[in-house]
Amino acid sequence: MSAAPVLRVSNLTKRFHGVTALDQVYLDVHAGEIVALIGPSGCGKSTLLRCLTWLEQPDDGFIEVAGKPLGRELMPGGVVRRQSRRQIDALRPQVGIVFQQFQLWPHMTALENVVRPQIVVLGRPRAEATRRGTELLTRLGLADRIDRHPHALSGGQKQRVAIARALAMDPALMLFDEPTSALDPELVGEVLAVLRSLAGIGMTMLVVTHEIGFAASLADRIAFMDHGRILEEGPARDIMAAPKEPRLKSFLDLVRTDRRIARTTANPTE
Amino acid sequence: MHFDPAVLVDYWPLLLQGAWLTLQVAAMALVIGYVAGIAVALIALMPGWLPRLVTGCYVEILRNIPFIIILFVVYYGLPFWGIRLPATLVGTVALALFASAYYAEIVRAAILALPRGQFESARAIGMSPMSAMWHVVAPQILRTLVPPSTNMTLTMMKESSVLSSITVPELTYQSLVVQGNTFAPFEVFAAVASIYWLIAALIAEVSRRLERRVGAVQAEATSRNRIADRYLSLVARRS
Repeated sequence: MSAAPVLRVSNLTKRFHGVTALDQVYLDVHAGEIVALIGPSGCGKSTLLRCLTWLEQPDDGFIEVAGKPLGRELMPGGVVRRQSRRQIDALRPQVGIVFQQFQLWPHMTALENVVRPQIVVLGRPRAEATRRGTELLTRLGLADRIDRHPHALSGGQKQRVAIARALAMDPALMLFDEPTSALDPELVGEVLAVLRSLAGIGMTMLVVTHEIGFAASLADRIAFMDHGRILEEGPARDIMAAPKEPRLKSFLDLVRTDRRIARTTANPTE
Repeated sequence: MHFDPAVLVDYWPLLLQGAWLTLQVAAMALVIGYVAGIAVALIALMPGWLPRLVTGCYVEILRNIPFIIILFVVYYGLPFWGIRLPATLVGTVALALFASAYYAEIVRAAILALPRGQFESARAIGMSPMSAMWHVVAPQILRTLVPPSTNMTLTMMKESSVLSSITVPELTYQSLVVQGNTFAPFEVFAAVASIYWLIAALIAEVSRRLERRVGAVQAEATSRNRIADRYLSLVARRS
């Protein structure tokens, strides 16, 4: 692809008290692409997402969103300049994130959750923000839920409100942190459908998950991460069929065996 | 010697004047102290060690010194810098200073008790720290703030009696005057005790109403779940 990637991560490094959580991570996500980031827990997947939203400040490396540097930029002459808080905040709406626990604001209705940030951050008039919010929630199948508070919504509905909240900011990129983990297993299909519909409108997505099956059926590309490094990445089919990296192989074996055990214990006659 | 409240008849206006001033001083100290307390709490939560150190010193110093000493330090300290202000003003400011340390801790604890993800989700979407506090954090902690703040306000109001020692003509000061004129200390202080009790009851009532109002908004947001909703809708249909 010749166009500049929507997300370009280069040499990203993050240490917590001497422990390296991210170790020189390089990752490009192109427009309209869905990339799944897989790996065992504690491998740095969530830390990467937190760095991409600047909730965590990486110690080294660069992030570029839609061609603009985020957080830190390289000035002519090789000088690295830290951006001001305002500069970073101005770029943040470009990166939509759906948290594992959704983090809806419980004192606002579903609609207000989607409307308020548009008004506060983008300065949209309330009427326009409401129109946009209603439209998004309707498209996500929540037309009859817009006046409910988050506590009166199911997990799947909360997730869709969180997606609408992020989409309303017209992001260049959407990040998902373990979108299946806070939901009942039977809802995985529903999440898949929602994310596919986003892909249908050309949204660029980076999805962190440890559900291999989910990653395989959703993503165009899969990146495998372990010990803070991206060890292997490539088209989803290739990664699943012929993993090269030994650690990815053993990870896939482990997860697949787990699944087989789970299935046989749930269904002993099989 | 017998209990004779009749001696107070001529002096009621003085006691009422004192009660009115006590109420005014407490109200001013509440407003100034709370604004300062919120500011101190927000600074304490800023990243880095310096803000935490500075606000920590502020809170510790004010909490570990008896109020009467804080009052004397401020009242007798200001003239050292050539500042001469009316005793009532100095007393109110000292009282606000004293209360602000406690209010700051109440606000800080309430903010910290809220899951961090709430603030982070607001920041990640692009809100400034102040916007995130205003739109997302503040509305959710209002109700938890009311009971401890009421406690502190009651303490602070009662502590305002100490201002009598720098000649602020509030309730306690006036009671000393009346007592000097009537030589009936028991009657005077019994009456003053009742007035303090009334003021405290007034503050508690205001707080109860406030809690109910803030609570009503929040109850809708937090306590109802789907089962409760369904139950309530069934009950509503029946009746």
